[in-house]
Amino acid sequence: MKGLLRLYPRWWRERYGREMEVLVDELPSRTGVALDLLLGAAMAYAFVIRENRILSAAGAYLHGVCVAVLLQAIGFVLLILYSERWPGGVNTDVALGPFHFAAVMWPIDFFGPRSLTQAQVTRWLPLDWLPAIGLLVVLVATLVVVMTAPRLLRTSR
Amino acid sequence: MRRLSAAVSLVLLSLLAVAVAQASLVALILLFSAVLKLNLTIELGLHYLHLSLPAAPYRPEVAVYNAGSIASVVFTAAGGAVAATWKFRRWRAPR
Repeated sequence: MKGLLRLYPRWWRERYGREMEVLVDELPSRTGVALDLLLGAAMAYAFVIRENRILSAAGAYLHGVCVAVLLQAIGFVLLILYSERWPGGVNTDVALGPFHFAAVMWPIDFFGPRSLTQAQVTRWLPLDWLPAIGLLVVLVATLVVVMTAPRLLRTSR
Repeated sequence: MRRLSAAVSLVLLSLLAVAVAQASLVALILLFSAVLKLNLTIELGLHYLHLSLPAAPYRPEVAVYNAGSIASVVFTAAGGAVAATWKFRRWRAPR
């Protein structure tokens, strides 16, 4: 448990290190305590980063990169859902002028199992959409957490 | 000299961050292709990275072309750059 105190910044260890070692010795060695120590180390580094303009900008850069990745993943799933808007699927092309970015191509199902009745039923029971919608919900929830994380860290001080 | 080495370090670290982010995005897309049962093709220059699913012949094929790969890298880097610039301009010393 005392080893986790080495994760804290140097200025923090010089100021509070000895008191914290005494406190950690008295506390039981539980996962909750370890998690508290880890969270405390993250908060201490967040304080150091906030104090420095360059480090704050670097942290914001990493945050922006994470948001961009999540937005692209959401875009990918939305593309799949958009191409599934009709039973049997619709070929979809994402292009801007002469530049083609991505495409979804459905196979031609000459001898497929779907009759007209089945196609009509599928239209009202889009079970094919469920995995994609599930992924979309998870991605959007993750995006919300990532976007609100800096504010939550600031208010939890 | 110190400023030059700091600027070079900054550029290299930002490129590294974008490379790691793009690798994570490719891993996510591979995972989504497995979950949604898609045939995936990623065009990289003159090569294709192709993931096919012979057990599900009626599933769609998703293709990401060169322009899409480049646009993805540019979007990721731009997202980070915009956030960093915004933070750098709005930064105020904490009380």
